[in-house]
Amino acid sequence: MKNKLQKLRDEFLHQLSLAKDSNSLRELELKYLSRKGELSNLLSGLKELGVEFRKEAGELANNVKVEMQKSFEEVKRTLDNYSGKDEFIDVTLPGDILNKGHLHPITLVQNELEDLFISLGFTIADGPELESDYYNFTALNVPPLHPARDMQDTFYVDSKNKDGQYDLLMRTQTSPVQIRAMQKYGAPLKTIIPGRCFRNEATDARHEHTFYQVEGLIIDKNINFANLKNLLEIVGKKLFGPNTKLRMRPKFFPFVEPGNNGEYTCFLCEGKGCRVCKQTGWLEIVGAGLVHPDVLRAGGVNPEVYSGLAFGFGLNRLAMLKYNINDVRLFNSGDIKFLEQF
Amino acid sequence: MYISYNWLQEFIKFPVKLKPNEIAEELTNHTVEVESFVNQAKQFNQVVVGRILEVAKHPNADRLRLLVVDIKSEKLNIVCGAPNVAVGQLVPVALVGAVLPNGLEIKESEIRGEKSSGMVCAEDELGLGNDHDGIMVLKETVKAGEPFAKYLKINDIVFEIDNKSLSNRPDLLSHYGIARELAAIFDLKLKPYNKVFSFKDKFLSNQDNKFDVKIENKDICLRYMGVKVDNIKVSESPSWLKERLIAVGQRPINNIVDLTNYVMLETGQPLHAFDADKVKKITVRLAKKNETIETIDGKERNLSPDDLLITDGAKGIAIAGVMGGKDSEIKNDSTSLILESANFKADSIRRTSQRLGLRTEASTRFEKALDPNLSEDAVLRFLSLLKKLCPEMKVVSSLIDIKNFADSTIELDLDLAWLNNKIGQAIPKESVINYLNKLGFKIISQENEILKVVVPSWRATKDISTREDLVEEILRLYGYDNINSVLPIQALNLPEVNLERVLERKIKNILALKNSLTEVYNYSFVGEEYLKKLNIDFFNHLRLANPLSGIQNLLRQSLVAGLVSNIKTNQAKKSDLGFFEFGSVFFNAPGDLNRGNDSDEKLPYQEKRLSIILAGARENLFSKLKGTVSGLFEELLSSDIKIEFSSLDVFPGWADSKIAAKILLFNKEIGIISMLNKNAVSELNLKLDVAIAEMNFTLLNKLINDFPTVRFKEMPKYPAVTRDVAFVVSEEILYNDLREEILNSNKILKSAILFDVYSGNKLERGEKCLAFHLEYRSDEKTLTAEEVDLVQSALVDQMAKKFEAKLRSF
Repeated sequence: MKNKLQKLRDEFLHQLSLAKDSNSLRELELKYLSRKGELSNLLSGLKELGVEFRKEAGELANNVKVEMQKSFEEVKRTLDNYSGKDEFIDVTLPGDILNKGHLHPITLVQNELEDLFISLGFTIADGPELESDYYNFTALNVPPLHPARDMQDTFYVDSKNKDGQYDLLMRTQTSPVQIRAMQKYGAPLKTIIPGRCFRNEATDARHEHTFYQVEGLIIDKNINFANLKNLLEIVGKKLFGPNTKLRMRPKFFPFVEPGNNGEYTCFLCEGKGCRVCKQTGWLEIVGAGLVHPDVLRAGGVNPEVYSGLAFGFGLNRLAMLKYNINDVRLFNSGDIKFLEQF
Repeated sequence: MYISYNWLQEFIKFPVKLKPNEIAEELTNHTVEVESFVNQAKQFNQVVVGRILEVAKHPNADRLRLLVVDIKSEKLNIVCGAPNVAVGQLVPVALVGAVLPNGLEIKESEIRGEKSSGMVCAEDELGLGNDHDGIMVLKETVKAGEPFAKYLKINDIVFEIDNKSLSNRPDLLSHYGIARELAAIFDLKLKPYNKVFSFKDKFLSNQDNKFDVKIENKDICLRYMGVKVDNIKVSESPSWLKERLIAVGQRPINNIVDLTNYVMLETGQPLHAFDADKVKKITVRLAKKNETIETIDGKERNLSPDDLLITDGAKGIAIAGVMGGKDSEIKNDSTSLILESANFKADSIRRTSQRLGLRTEASTRFEKALDPNLSEDAVLRFLSLLKKLCPEMKVVSSLIDIKNFADSTIELDLDLAWLNNKIGQAIPKESVINYLNKLGFKIISQENEILKVVVPSWRATKDISTREDLVEEILRLYGYDNINSVLPIQALNLPEVNLERVLERKIKNILALKNSLTEVYNYSFVGEEYLKKLNIDFFNHLRLANPLSGIQNLLRQSLVAGLVSNIKTNQAKKSDLGFFEFGSVFFNAPGDLNRGNDSDEKLPYQEKRLSIILAGARENLFSKLKGTVSGLFEELLSSDIKIEFSSLDVFPGWADSKIAAKILLFNKEIGIISMLNKNAVSELNLKLDVAIAEMNFTLLNKLINDFPTVRFKEMPKYPAVTRDVAFVVSEEILYNDLREEILNSNKILKSAILFDVYSGNKLERGEKCLAFHLEYRSDEKTLTAEEVDLVQSALVDQMAKKFEAKLRSF
């Protein structure tokens, strides 16, 4: 038995060393290793041996079997690898095309700003897109018959209040949420308000009746202009890089006093002047100011105790600058060729 | 608005080394945005003086001539259509490459077969007047080849100021107002306006020579000044006057009209001159219903009883503060005038000008609330200049002045410590006082570092009324660049997290990054026609009072219409599409939010929706969308969370009533899922099948944020036995009911997972087969095959009894 086993092993190993391809391997496997192969045949003879031989022969048989299988696998692996040479694989072929999803560019820019302000300890406040005339205008120190209330500028909802006035409108700014947030949370307050706004104007490549803003509000004791300036500097550096400079100019907004705009050095030309900044070297990005005492009062905050600063950005403009988008109407176009690029 | 450098110099003296760009920049830094400045001479860069040497007939056109024009450096061949050309004339020649003030670019061209290298210009083409009857013939003060600008003697620099940044500053709509700002910015001396002119006439104070002026609406007509002047001679304005007007973009008309414009551009006060032969007396009243007036632009204007009208006692002669009437305008043969210098209430002028769609130089000034004190300066300035233009003129009435405004002044207390706190930096007291004085504020007392400040009348109409307004005045003159920035020092606190925003961002990421869907933003407005095609009832939609167009006149109550249109837009570009949108919807019913302080009415109910749309081949589309929705919640909450779909009783119009279900999360209905019905697909010419899920995100947010954190469960101690079973039932039997029955049948039956649904030719018609993996497990011991068999056969019996379910036999 012992001899037979060893003979079988040697014979198999010899044949194996001659095997040149997977066909001859398969034959060898069939002949020696399969269920009805020679090894199985031999092993089935084990039962006929006496008990004391059986143990010794069984051990040997097992060793031989393991050795034969191991050698077979080794050769098989080598041959399999070797056979790679037969069919050429162009490794430069592209991978499968899988479907990809996309976030809207405004979402991307808004997330970026939200993360910045959250890291500075701001909360995020929301408010309704369909607002009352009171919150959108009166409470923000925009008295009746102010130019901003023109029918040309504001979408009114066709429903009149008890006094027969158009009282409901699509908010023209995110600022009404300033009042709602003050009323809800009181002072101190540190919040940003992202959201959709509406202006009743004909659309073209530079004008859209539906647009997006983020505005920020800090109310606390002793908030001053120097604070506002520093905050806007930080925002500019975050948005456009560490070397960005801020320039502030007087600008009238009814809900702040003093009111300013903020311009940053153009990130493309670094202030040298280019097409994007219309050769000025500066980009007008932000409107800002110290919160008007009437606005604090409307929010239920005492202007003798607290003061506030406020600032706002147009998200469409930021996204257009960031991604070099040349037509504002693309944002709400739903065109997949646009959306897929982000 | 345009501001002339030369004009400003009448009131302030610029230092010689101060360059125009510095003026523009500093004005922008401290007061208003200067959009650009133009050197006038450069406007005529490519226009030279030429002498006509030859005039010949054009061989192919009777009206055209062929000219040879000498411009010294060369002789040009020019085709010209003007009737008045003659040999020897000196004329302005626009060279090839010139861009004329009216935008015309001169190119080398061929006119009816003849080459033309340049253009001989008429007045209007050069922006110098209305005359287009013929070419402009120049006086012999220059030589051929010299720049045309030299002939005109123009050397002005014109600043263009952004009108929008002036909306709160009516005082700056004038040269004197801008000069005042520049004097403060550059610390220059400003000539007091009453020193600019002098006019004394005994008639002005002669109370006997009045003409009749009556004001019926004293609350709207705040001041009316008038004076009558005889012996005027209407003619072309002198060149200094024309040059000024042209420089700031006004077209000269005649000396009288030009002068009213001149004084307005200088002081900010609009003036109007009536022909005194047509106007014997003046009554200011509201227009009557259906009253009309022909304005000087020749248009018939329909007035409303809100409009203030200047009348001659009977009919209208001017729309107050907006535009004069045609009948009474100054004409070439007028010999006598009545000058009006008045002040009207801003709101009223604004309303009238808007309603008529008529914005004029006058209305833009009045609607910003002008200082009524300006009227007097303007009349006197007008008369003094008129004397120069028409030395024969004779004032024949007293200076009529009806004042309906209170001469009240605004006084403000400015606490310097408070000021420094607001700015965040100490501003020297002397600087504060100097800035305020330069801008015309008066400091009437100083006690304990508190200044009592009187606001000048031109800033007091509505611009400055609080001490915060003074902060801006001081800060802008001190210069924003001179403020050292300091971050606020605040107590550390834990900001409240906006869970709704956190969830929204998570969902967007899952849908875009995991489910490969594309986020869209659609408009909040929809149109009736479109909703009709989708069979959506729009009767109860909120409407816009002033929509931009009929296709966007309703407020959306669902995101479906927008998403379906996204499929339509893109179906030619891709054969399978998937979009999602977060957005607000608006209902014609009161919600929770209040409208304002003193109103108990509520805002309309608004909620945020999350909707998903898939489009492609019909097969599996509905199921794929259900998987997307279930997967979303498993990802958000726990893989144990199972979204359920149950049948619907009420369908939105767009849904396919056979393939529509409610979406349930924790047994609460959060939305619906459906195929778009066939009708809508064909109405909209959709080439793809469409499945839509719409969920109430406001509700979802609440449910998800109330969901407790996932708790770890002990691993099962005893192994499970799994068996597959396939029930054949009538197709109307719902999966939900089968599943519930199975799971409730025995406590050792732990889960039932559907792995196949079949209906086909191996079954009877109207039958379907649902195959489940059933998992049996006990918490107390290892189950034997016999125990499981027993439970399963009981289940089979139970299912047969309840649903007439048979076991699959193939």
